[in-house]
Amino acid sequence: MAESEDSGSELIKIVVKTPKDKETIEIDATATITEFKEAISQKFGQPVEQLCLIFAGKILKDHETLEKIGIKDGLTVHLVIRQKVGSQQSGAGSSTPAASSASPAPAAAAGAAPGTPAAAAPQPAPAAAPFGLGGMGGLSGLGNMGMGSANFMEMQQRMQQELLRNPDMLTQMMENPFVQSMMSNPDLLRNLIVSNPQMQQLMERNPEITHMLNNPELMRQTMELARNPAMLQEMMRSQDRALSNLESIPGGYNALRRMYTDIQEPMMNAAQEQFSNNPWASLMGGGTSNPQQGQENREPLPNPWAAQGSSTTAATTSTTTTASTTASSPAGQGLPGGLPGLPGGIPTSGMFNSPGMQSLMQQMVDNPQLMQNMLQAPYMQSMMQSMGQNPEMASQIIGNNPLFQGNPQLQDQMRQQLPTFMQQMQNPEVQAAVTNPRVLQAIMQIQQGMQQLQAEAPVLLPGVPPAGGMPASPAASAPAASATTSSSTDSTTTTTSTTTTTASASTTSPSAAVPPGGPTEAQQQLLQQMLQTLAGGTAMQPPEVRFRSQLEQLETMGFVNRAANIQALTATNGDVNAAIDRLLQAQ
Amino acid sequence: MSEAQAALLLRKQLGDLSKSPVEGFSAGLIDDCDVFKWEVLIIGPADTFFEGGFFKAHLYFPKEYPQKPPKMKFISEIWHPNVEKNGEVCISILHEPGEDKYGYESASERWLPIHTVESIIMSVISMLADPNDESPANVDAAKDWREDYNGEFKKKVRRCVRKSQESV
Repeated sequence: MAESEDSGSELIKIVVKTPKDKETIEIDATATITEFKEAISQKFGQPVEQLCLIFAGKILKDHETLEKIGIKDGLTVHLVIRQKVGSQQSGAGSSTPAASSASPAPAAAAGAAPGTPAAAAPQPAPAAAPFGLGGMGGLSGLGNMGMGSANFMEMQQRMQQELLRNPDMLTQMMENPFVQSMMSNPDLLRNLIVSNPQMQQLMERNPEITHMLNNPELMRQTMELARNPAMLQEMMRSQDRALSNLESIPGGYNALRRMYTDIQEPMMNAAQEQFSNNPWASLMGGGTSNPQQGQENREPLPNPWAAQGSSTTAATTSTTTTASTTASSPAGQGLPGGLPGLPGGIPTSGMFNSPGMQSLMQQMVDNPQLMQNMLQAPYMQSMMQSMGQNPEMASQIIGNNPLFQGNPQLQDQMRQQLPTFMQQMQNPEVQAAVTNPRVLQAIMQIQQGMQQLQAEAPVLLPGVPPAGGMPASPAASAPAASATTSSSTDSTTTTTSTTTTTASASTTSPSAAVPPGGPTEAQQQLLQQMLQTLAGGTAMQPPEVRFRSQLEQLETMGFVNRAANIQALTATNGDVNAAIDRLLQAQ
Repeated sequence: MSEAQAALLLRKQLGDLSKSPVEGFSAGLIDDCDVFKWEVLIIGPADTFFEGGFFKAHLYFPKEYPQKPPKMKFISEIWHPNVEKNGEVCISILHEPGEDKYGYESASERWLPIHTVESIIMSVISMLADPNDESPANVDAAKDWREDYNGEFKKKVRRCVRKSQESV
């Protein structure tokens, strides 16, 4: 009607005002809002779909005309530029919530014809709207999703935002039969994940993720978790609790904030990579392994078993830490073992290497209570459980560690040891015991005892034949009986020595076969292994060989009693200075 | 006489606002024939949970304006401690000076004839950003705001924001 009056058209000037700036637009008095928006779009350099005009308390609809609304020459119109989905995601800042909230609407509107009265559009169901599935209608929508297409990516991003903002929606979505059927098809899911460019990048960086995706069992488990709203909520709750605990630590908040931005985006991805790249997993793992590092720095007690392979300790220790992060971590709390602190020792996730993460770790070390809370969190336990049930996954985690990647032999051994760790840790008794300070103390005593034994009577230990292990067991099984939990701690160290020595096939055979319900048996086996590896390690590398350079040093210094030198070096783990002290004292 | 005066005053404000609109809201008449009923669209203030929302509200002026305050009611759903569940805005400057039915506001905080649409809406916008916890009109919202600001409160506000966008 109004548009037809072309004859009497006159140009009017309208001031368009955004919170930031102001522009005057010259336009035909009879123009439609669509035309007006196009003019604005050119002037402001923003796409038409993102423009929202407000005049006289109303949002202007595209089909209306300036004339009809009563916008006359010289009047001012409010302009709100809604942010785009993509740009808003990358742009960090205070505007994020608003931007994200604004995103679904224009996108939905963009799908519709521009002329459609927006208000007349039915309000989409909450679950359907953000995914754009509403219009696609069930299964037929799948075709439209076009794996890897730009649309699909955008949809995914929007979905992630929506989910993050509204946990209810996740539950709702999961309950949707369509989604469930999708979820129960690991192949399809795998395709979906693989088609995500972000995931592709991740997979390029960490080939292990590909392995994980190829493991239908793992995928199913993950889905099961996602489908169970109660469990998911519990997970979220305990995360919140852990977060608030972290916040109360000085400096923790800053680290948290950085982490939060890291977590937000990969949240969906993390659901699939739960253990390899989930920032939380590394938080758990790294955090719990760290006490060893922190405490080591302050009071370095020599670890007799670590000493077995002092040449390769550094490498092995870090790997042991990674592998046992989830499993043996509680033991780490009270075990100031001689594991050298390796700040960058867990390259599984880049974030662990960040200074922020490290400072966070330090904070966590200083707060044992927090550690306990975290370890007792239900998701931590479910994590352990799935690790235990899925040795393959655990082994992938090992494989993820570059240190292991270079050494297939180590990998194999770790892999075989892992199920035992897991099963050990799954035992609630063990879990309870390792958090008991007295138990930990007892373990330390055992350690010290062993150290002393080695120092005073090195003959005893190397004397044990590699295959037997039994002759020495009386000595070792006594302490084991006194502290049921020693096995878990010991297992950590056992692995250290096993891997360093790369010895005796006998060590590896029993571990994988340990029944879950038999903690005592498992412990005995572990102890045996420990002793075997101890024996094997020393047998392969006698002190003379290991400490050759130190021996030479001592000899050049005038300590000519070779036997005494060896004994001193063995007792001091090859520390020449300490050995000299010792020798001088003995003289 | 006074009614004509009120209408005149409101017309003037309407003219001023359309010529040089104020940041954060846009005002017009619900019905062009009735200058006593205004329609206002408040743009959710930045850096609050309300950011990104377009909240529609109506202002009903009495014939005695500016001696008596208008009533303001949100038409868009909004979750805020000082907005009743039916949308009525409860801020001190809209309370008549004579009858202090709440009994705790000083006269200066209540309605004054110098208030205009602009000053009212600006007060409301600042209220959105900074609720008055002492006199909640929506007790549940106040509870959320106090106890679970970043959880339940945020969730409900964001839901309102989404709804306000969808109704555009």
